[in-house]
Amino acid sequence: MNSLPRTGRLTRRRAMALAAVAALAAPALARAQAKAQIVVIGGGFGGATAAKYLRVLDPGLAVTLVEPDRTYTTGPLSNLVLAGLHPAADLAQSYATLGMRHGVEVVHDTAVAIDAAARKVRLAGGRTLDYDRLVVSPGIDMRWDAIGGYSEAAAQIMPHAWTGAAQLDLLRRQLQAMPDGGVFLISAPPTPYRCPPGPYERASLAAYAFKQAKPRAKIVIMDAKDQFSDQGLFEDGWKALYGGMIERIGLSDDGRVTEVRPDEMTVVSEFGEAHKADVINIIPPQRAGKIAQAAGLTDDSGWCPVDPRTFESAHIPNVHVIGDAALAGAMPKGAFAANTQAKVAALAIADALAGRPPATPTYLSSCYSLLAPDYGISVIDVFRATSEGISPVAGAGGQSPRQADAAFRAEEARYASGWYASITEEIWRS
Amino acid sequence: MFGHLPLKLSICGKMLMLAAIAALPASAAAAQSADPRLLALSCAGCHGPEGRSPGAIPSLHGQSETAIAEALRAFRADQRPSTVMGRIAKGYSDQEIDAVAHGMAVPSK
Repeated sequence: MNSLPRTGRLTRRRAMALAAVAALAAPALARAQAKAQIVVIGGGFGGATAAKYLRVLDPGLAVTLVEPDRTYTTGPLSNLVLAGLHPAADLAQSYATLGMRHGVEVVHDTAVAIDAAARKVRLAGGRTLDYDRLVVSPGIDMRWDAIGGYSEAAAQIMPHAWTGAAQLDLLRRQLQAMPDGGVFLISAPPTPYRCPPGPYERASLAAYAFKQAKPRAKIVIMDAKDQFSDQGLFEDGWKALYGGMIERIGLSDDGRVTEVRPDEMTVVSEFGEAHKADVINIIPPQRAGKIAQAAGLTDDSGWCPVDPRTFESAHIPNVHVIGDAALAGAMPKGAFAANTQAKVAALAIADALAGRPPATPTYLSSCYSLLAPDYGISVIDVFRATSEGISPVAGAGGQSPRQADAAFRAEEARYASGWYASITEEIWRS
Repeated sequence: MFGHLPLKLSICGKMLMLAAIAALPASAAAAQSADPRLLALSCAGCHGPEGRSPGAIPSLHGQSETAIAEALRAFRADQRPSTVMGRIAKGYSDQEIDAVAHGMAVPSK
């Protein structure tokens, strides 16, 4: 006999109806249970790495990358472009692979607000994105109020050329048009800022280009600090390669620029001395990107405090801030640091959503600089999360040796370009 | 580093070894080992995705686990000349070097 109570018996019609409901409900149920929503703001070295590895580590995550630009212009390699030694097109990175191979939804828009309570991101175009976890990788913003007379309009005459293709192209054209015997003045910012050796590499490669085409040109670095990254290595190289072409005025020698006069192509130092030049590059003091400021992720320093193990914001839960915007202890602000922080944050998010305990992180940073196309130097460090924040491992890392032959410098120069090829391949093309 | 120790240790030797480990300062060797999943991803930034380098930096793809681990130990001990690998390898413990090598190597079938 049939043991089922009469009401439990399935008629053929009822079974079909149930199956139809189940077929409708199952994907929705799966979505609700498994597809956590991750939004990543910013498609630079940090954000693009995070978006990729979130999907690699957990293909069940739905990842949306918000980035205003269709192509990303890298900071690394840009000083070679500036000196006319490399085509600008090589700096452009595409988001096609992230979308097609990794299934990241790439939205070309600007994030303007974060509602931490409702876990929503509002975009300039009007769209709102829900998130379970948010990664904020907005890079830097200029402190436009830090130098008197400097503004976005003034930057059309005295470019910063520190972000974006247009600024870089403007300074490149100015340098190309500068007459022999002209003066190229670089105003270097106080620490911390994006790419610590960047201003000095810029001076080096400009000197390399001038040496061929404008041997009577001069380069003056006015610096808002006394010490700078890889100082001994740069100064050795400048002396050997360019004689007296590069002059640097440090903070203690009144090197800090406090005012600019674009109409007169003049900058004014802290103690009132005016310096005139033919081409002026103002690299202003910096802070975390706009959205980080707007969302309350920054502290009084203008940067974002984070948990050194996960890069989760100290201010807003479920939000991770990576890259230049983050206060990452001893790590320099740069592409490689952002790339390794992104991997740690992506793993922390994947683990947290899966209910796994947090991983023990390790970080790596390498900054290559070119003093000439065949003369490279590097500073490398391995970092750990400690009770004092992110600290370098004692006995490891450091700068290229002060005493090294031309072959060593040439090999580091080759590895500088090799590094660029590898990291951009890892992030944007694989 | 334990690979180079004599195979037979006296009780006294073992105790000395344990005492030495206990006395290590908060260095890479004594700190908690980094997550193997992160260690496996550490190389890609310079050596390319899955160790396939598109440029001037040597590829790791196709190298055996043993070869990678031995190379890292040689770099760490300054027994193999390098530009940056000596500086990098000194940041990792034996256990971590093994995890890097395991993560990078093509699984043998």
